[in-house]
Amino acid sequence: MRALVIDDSRAMRRIVSGTLENLGFEVNQAGDGREGLDVLEGGYVPDLVTVDWNMPVMDGLQFVSAVRSNPAYRSMTIMMVTSESEHTQIVRALAAGAHEYVIKPFTADALRDKLALLGLLPQEVAL
Amino acid sequence: MSTVDTGERRRSGEHRPVITELIDETTVQSIAEDAWTALVGEDEILVPIPGELPGDVVSSWVDVVGPWTGTVVLTTGRETAAGLTRALLGEHAPDELEDEDIVDAFGEIANVVGGNVKAALPGPSALSLPDVGAAPAVRNPADLCRVDVLWRGEPLSISVQGALPALPVH
Amino acid sequence: MKILVADDSRVMRQIVIRTLRQAGYDDHDIVEAEDGADALAKVSSEKPDLVLSDWNMPNMTGIECLQALRASGSAVPFGFVTSEGSPEMRDKAATAGALFLIAKPFTEDTFKEHLDGMLA
Repeated sequence: MRALVIDDSRAMRRIVSGTLENLGFEVNQAGDGREGLDVLEGGYVPDLVTVDWNMPVMDGLQFVSAVRSNPAYRSMTIMMVTSESEHTQIVRALAAGAHEYVIKPFTADALRDKLALLGLLPQEVAL
Repeated sequence: MSTVDTGERRRSGEHRPVITELIDETTVQSIAEDAWTALVGEDEILVPIPGELPGDVVSSWVDVVGPWTGTVVLTTGRETAAGLTRALLGEHAPDELEDEDIVDAFGEIANVVGGNVKAALPGPSALSLPDVGAAPAVRNPADLCRVDVLWRGEPLSISVQGALPALPVH
Repeated sequence: MKILVADDSRVMRQIVIRTLRQAGYDDHDIVEAEDGADALAKVSSEKPDLVLSDWNMPNMTGIECLQALRASGSAVPFGFVTSEGSPEMRDKAATAGALFLIAKPFTEDTFKEHLDGMLA
């Protein structure tokens, strides 16, 4: 399973990538929506994208809108990463095409549970 | 196709409920009736009979974010929304209603209905401020609880709809 | 007595004022605020005897307003009038220093129940 972690905070990227790697994912990172699109256009199409909402250059909403209109990326599951105060953005993000969301701070177990529901846990971990 | 029960779903701490597991039409109807009685008038009745919505409709809604995430949407004809606004404003209703009045009143009804739906659902959850405009699309037809009523003979629908897409079958 | 009614919906402010009157409290001065920040400023400038506030409002929510008031040392009696009447909301309200939480939709009897003894 492949993942792309998009967040302008290096610390957040490190934490999320670490959790996903422990769950068996191969992980790539990007610092904003624009960089995220560059990674996709470079040929790395992941099964899962985690995307922060507030980012410079291109934010989460713009990234999701750009991705959803491209049939080549239909197979990706997009999980929005947001903070408690941004809860009103969540439904908007989902309407734009995100599939799930997780609220910071989240535990590795919480993320794992959501991935299990979505059928994204690599088999060695699921059994 | 494996028939072995890996126990994955049971071990997974999270079950993602659809709205029909959490609330039913009768409860939504009852919440709406309480809102109408208090806000529109004591003798107001919502008849649980679907009518055909006109072409020119307007919706108001609030989002609920929590163990269940979705939107409570009210939809009715523009004229009906204006009528509701007049009823809510009572003696303060101006001769000419502004769009702003309709957004305020119709939005507030969504707030009251939505707030009570939220309170009936598992928490903790957050309620958004109301919005008015074209109804948000239904994301998952299986995550939907809809009540269609007639208010003073005019059709009005109350839709409690999930914002998450259906889980993939695996 | 002076009552401050805070709600971002003008319609709802009118309904609250109307219900106060219907409940028999028609002898009071009413001041209106359209969000939490406005309410905070008006508590200072108008010195009401009671604040009736919505919870969810733009700029500053009712709970944030109450927290700011208590943090600044204001003991003004404060009650919520909100569409969310769940037990956890009531707990949050009480913890922050609210005297009551009236859930919408409300009737004049609900108002009397909560306000009798507070208002003449």
